[in-house]
Amino acid sequence: MSRTGPNVRAYRAAIISFVVAIAGGVVAALGYGTDLGEDWLGIGLAASLIGIGFGLVCWAKYLDFDEHAVEEREPLVVAPPAKQELHAELRGGLEPMGRRKLLVGLLGGSFVSMFIGFVGPIGSLGPKPRGERDRTSWREGIRVVTADGEPIPVTTRTFDQLVTVWPEGHVGEDDAQVVLLRLPPEVLTERTVRNGTVEGWVAYSKICTHAGCSVGLFGIDNREPETLRQLVCPCHQSVFDPADAARPVGGPATRSLPQLPLAVDRDGFLVAAGPFDRIVGPIAWDET
Amino acid sequence: MSDDTRPGGAPPEHGERRSDAGERASSGPDRDRRGRGLLERYVDSVADRLGAHSVAGKVLRKVFPNHFSFLWGEVALYSFFVLLITGTYLTLFFEGSQDETIYTGSYEPLQGADVSAAYDSVMRISFDVKGGLLIRQMHHWAALVFVGAVALHMARVFFTGAFRRPRELNWVVGVLLLILALAAGFTGYSLPDDLLSGSGLRITQSIILAIPFVGERMSYALFGGEWPGTDIIGRLYPVHILLIPAAIVALLAVHLGLVWRQKHTQFAGPQRTQRNVVGVRVWPGFALKSIGLFFLVAGVITAMGALFHVNAVWLYGPYDSGAATSFSQPDWYIGFLEGSLRLMPPWETRLLGFTINNLVYSAMLVPGVIFAGLLLVPWIERRFTHDDREHHLLDRPRDAPHRTAAGAAAITFVAVLFLGGSQDVIAGTLDVSIGHVTTFLQFAAILLPPIVYAGTWRLCRALARRPGPARTERAGGVVRDAGGGYHEADELEAEGSELGAEVAESGEAPARLGGGP
Repeated sequence: MSRTGPNVRAYRAAIISFVVAIAGGVVAALGYGTDLGEDWLGIGLAASLIGIGFGLVCWAKYLDFDEHAVEEREPLVVAPPAKQELHAELRGGLEPMGRRKLLVGLLGGSFVSMFIGFVGPIGSLGPKPRGERDRTSWREGIRVVTADGEPIPVTTRTFDQLVTVWPEGHVGEDDAQVVLLRLPPEVLTERTVRNGTVEGWVAYSKICTHAGCSVGLFGIDNREPETLRQLVCPCHQSVFDPADAARPVGGPATRSLPQLPLAVDRDGFLVAAGPFDRIVGPIAWDET
Repeated sequence: MSDDTRPGGAPPEHGERRSDAGERASSGPDRDRRGRGLLERYVDSVADRLGAHSVAGKVLRKVFPNHFSFLWGEVALYSFFVLLITGTYLTLFFEGSQDETIYTGSYEPLQGADVSAAYDSVMRISFDVKGGLLIRQMHHWAALVFVGAVALHMARVFFTGAFRRPRELNWVVGVLLLILALAAGFTGYSLPDDLLSGSGLRITQSIILAIPFVGERMSYALFGGEWPGTDIIGRLYPVHILLIPAAIVALLAVHLGLVWRQKHTQFAGPQRTQRNVVGVRVWPGFALKSIGLFFLVAGVITAMGALFHVNAVWLYGPYDSGAATSFSQPDWYIGFLEGSLRLMPPWETRLLGFTINNLVYSAMLVPGVIFAGLLLVPWIERRFTHDDREHHLLDRPRDAPHRTAAGAAAITFVAVLFLGGSQDVIAGTLDVSIGHVTTFLQFAAILLPPIVYAGTWRLCRALARRPGPARTERAGGVVRDAGGGYHEADELEAEGSELGAEVAESGEAPARLGGGP
């Protein structure tokens, strides 16, 4: 083919591309095999692949295959006689079958029965729910400990700081994670106190009632006339009011975080005064 | 790219080669072996056993229309190939298990941390397998590109009306492929068992739990008991590497098979009618370019994998119940669902003693409506247009103002949801309260789509009234004249040259462009 006209450019581009591709492979090998750095493995491979791709496209351009070939469509819809022929054949095959009502019924029943038979193995995938979700390891008198297993003296003077705590001996148990906060006692609402607080200490389930993420953020805004405290779930930005029984005040959550009643043991450490009063986290359709 | 007007067709050697091949193909296997090149002998040895000569010839002569917008489907296909190749490599190292282990690899900040075997193996791929991080990042980038290309391909098909009769079934197959692509992405995202993916799984479990009637039982079955259990990673693994890819491959076969059978759509233009396809034949033009495109897609994905970190699980750390991070966003294609969860007002319904959870609205109703709407697109449109005719010529978006407006409105809705999925980032960037951003986006999700609908409709009408060339393909292009020189067609047209005029109205296909020998 004569190399005239603008296609010479495509020809040259293809040559350059393939040279780059060859060089890219070498760079990749060097990147892998020497201490040039692993980054060059990827860069070399990319150059190699892009070189081949661009070279092929330029080659196609150079050969000027950008044609306007015409292909006729076969009609998709056939003439009525041909349709009727097929219909007749279908009917002809079905009609004698259709009269065997008993067999058809039994076959249908067999399928239903077979599917029921397969339900068993599907059920084996997981145990039947037996109310595990209603219970956590929190019980009356169990100590509140941090992730490191440290108990928390009631006298700790850290206000407005979020600590993630667990029942002693059950650190890391998903459904027992709790946020512990010490707020100035005067900001706590009456029902919050009634649920079980100790000198401003309040504890809520850390599992968001919306979609189960850990309510890991505690925000405090001093700009307001009254200081505003918020517990926020980072996943979908549900906001709960820690001073008012973790009532949902923003975002998609509809239910407050279950509150863990607190007490103090003989040694002055925080303990649970009982379990949660309801299910933690998101709920199923037959729960509230 | 040129309008082909060369009267003589291809350079002579092409024509000869083809007629040669035709002659040989028609000769029987008894013919003397001499005279057939190596290529012909191999082709014959296969085709003679399958009776495939005429089919193979048809394949080589199949015509693909030339329009940039037809590229996205190919890009999707090729990024899927990259996914299969890189994914296979990753399976050689990945361990789909939640067994607890202590990280001892070469990433110092996490040494000694309690991690799952899955996370440990992902860390090993990232830091201790030479080239492993590159392949892992290529896999992740390819997934992002794949879903993006699928979405763009779908937009092209929608806005040009390519889903109309006879292609309704293929539209449905395409929507199913999109859903499978999302499922593939989500299951893959969950496998490393890092903090982000663990949160994603927790949300998924909550959604399943909220399903009326069967939710709790289903959640227990999937997770092997109460959340988090020790089974889910091991179960998602075969789903991600076997079930979903197999389903995608199967549906892809149907998708491409239907395109093959029904042939491509094309924009209106000279020579182009409802009864033909005008473009490049598979052999050699389309094949060369398309194989080139595969390498380009693979190359760009490799460059992304080499240059840009993605899903840096070592920074997120292993999944740890009780831990949580702010600014946790999923991969982009889950963004609309994330946004639906974030923007849904706190509604919960008690009905006959049962709870219709907020997640039923945000995670089932909203995506359910979106995907049901997508699936039913061909039938919804037919209800309005009462148009049941076959369409092989595409609409320009402006020529179907209601469809275009509806599409733009739907995209707006999904885009607002997508922004909602990052409302914390937006609030942080603009330094406004998250609540305000949320409220604004809630109103936007309701009010913006109708506004966009009206605006798009008006724009379409205005564009359609604008005078201009009636055809949508390139008006100009480069033309080779009889003497072998090349010219801009537009330029010639403007000069009023004879050649230009001829280009503009070239109605007949040159001889070589016919169906075959």
